[in-house]
Amino acid sequence: MTTIPFGPRRDEDALIAKAGELPKDVAPARDLWPGIQARLGEEAGRPAPRAFGWPSALAAGFLVAAVSALLTWGLLREPAPVAGTMADSAAPAQFVPVNYGPNSGIGAAQLAARDELLPEFRQRFARLAPGTQAVVLKNLAVIQQAADEIDAALAADPASGLLNEMLVGTYRQELGLYSRVVTAGDGSPRRT
Amino acid sequence: MAGGFVTGLANVTTDGEPERVARARRGEVAAFESLYREHVGRVYGLCLRMTGQAATAEDLTQDTFVSAWRSLPGYEGRSSFSTWLHRIAVNAVLASRRGPRGRLETSLTNEEGEDMELTAEDAMDEATPIDLERAIGSLPAGARDIVVLYGIYGYSHEEAAGMLGVAVGTCKAQLHRARHLLRARMRMEAGT
Repeated sequence: MTTIPFGPRRDEDALIAKAGELPKDVAPARDLWPGIQARLGEEAGRPAPRAFGWPSALAAGFLVAAVSALLTWGLLREPAPVAGTMADSAAPAQFVPVNYGPNSGIGAAQLAARDELLPEFRQRFARLAPGTQAVVLKNLAVIQQAADEIDAALAADPASGLLNEMLVGTYRQELGLYSRVVTAGDGSPRRT
Repeated sequence: MAGGFVTGLANVTTDGEPERVARARRGEVAAFESLYREHVGRVYGLCLRMTGQAATAEDLTQDTFVSAWRSLPGYEGRSSFSTWLHRIAVNAVLASRRGPRGRLETSLTNEEGEDMELTAEDAMDEATPIDLERAIGSLPAGARDIVVLYGIYGYSHEEAAGMLGVAVGTCKAQLHRARHLLRARMRMEAGT
């Protein structure tokens, strides 16, 4: 077994001891309070977040996994799309990407991957059978519910690494959902 | 309105931290501003050192205090208020680093320090003489995080591991790696 030499203790290591002497406080170049105060004011105008707890957030995460299996089953049974037929014969189902709440820390940069996938997903989605579209939307609703509940739990426990990981997992589920729809509609061999 | 806050702030600054936390939990913004004034330097310093970007650190500092305000009802005083704020700040930094696929953009797997992330170094003023602070800023994210938390802010390996969501052994290995990299950079800077 390889033993990693972790080195001397904090007080025996001159470099780390020197780091410990650096100032702990660093003053920002501008007063950040007005921006914070404005956001607190906005919060006051909103209804208080629902008090979701861990069990609720965990349950939402499990539900996402369970319902996703339904989608796979539905897509595998989906007949090969015929260009234009579904889009022409049925009103397009309402599709809205998952909205991540203010506590999630998921911003535009993190959503870039989704933005790349969405145009092709929308095209494929419009060509799916109504039943499969419904399953996709049901999946999205479950993912949205999970995102909402994890976001609410993060409001109460923003320091939780596990909740943050669950949120990233939820985002991955959303990306996976779009990927499966895109992949299933690209003419790949499917089970009959 | 602003005068109200100033007056309120004058009233609460004579209180101890537990009293101000209790007042802030009851929704007194002036008490929370007082806590902000006391802790902003440490929170901003942590964010700046972990990100190496002043503008990003300012945003994350604001996010940290807004999250803290929302989460105050759940703060039970099991850790110090300062540590609690730092946990929120570390999570905000980690969330900001997550790439589109949930991977930490700046995390490295190479123990030799290859493929290093240079964002922090690039953000530094070219005219600033390279010193320990600058050398820390040029470390890859994983190594930098542990030097900041363990070396500068004095958290134990267990506390730092808990904040970063990694194993204690990983923290120790990252510190070991950071020592080597820091020494190499300091030697390089000294021209030896």
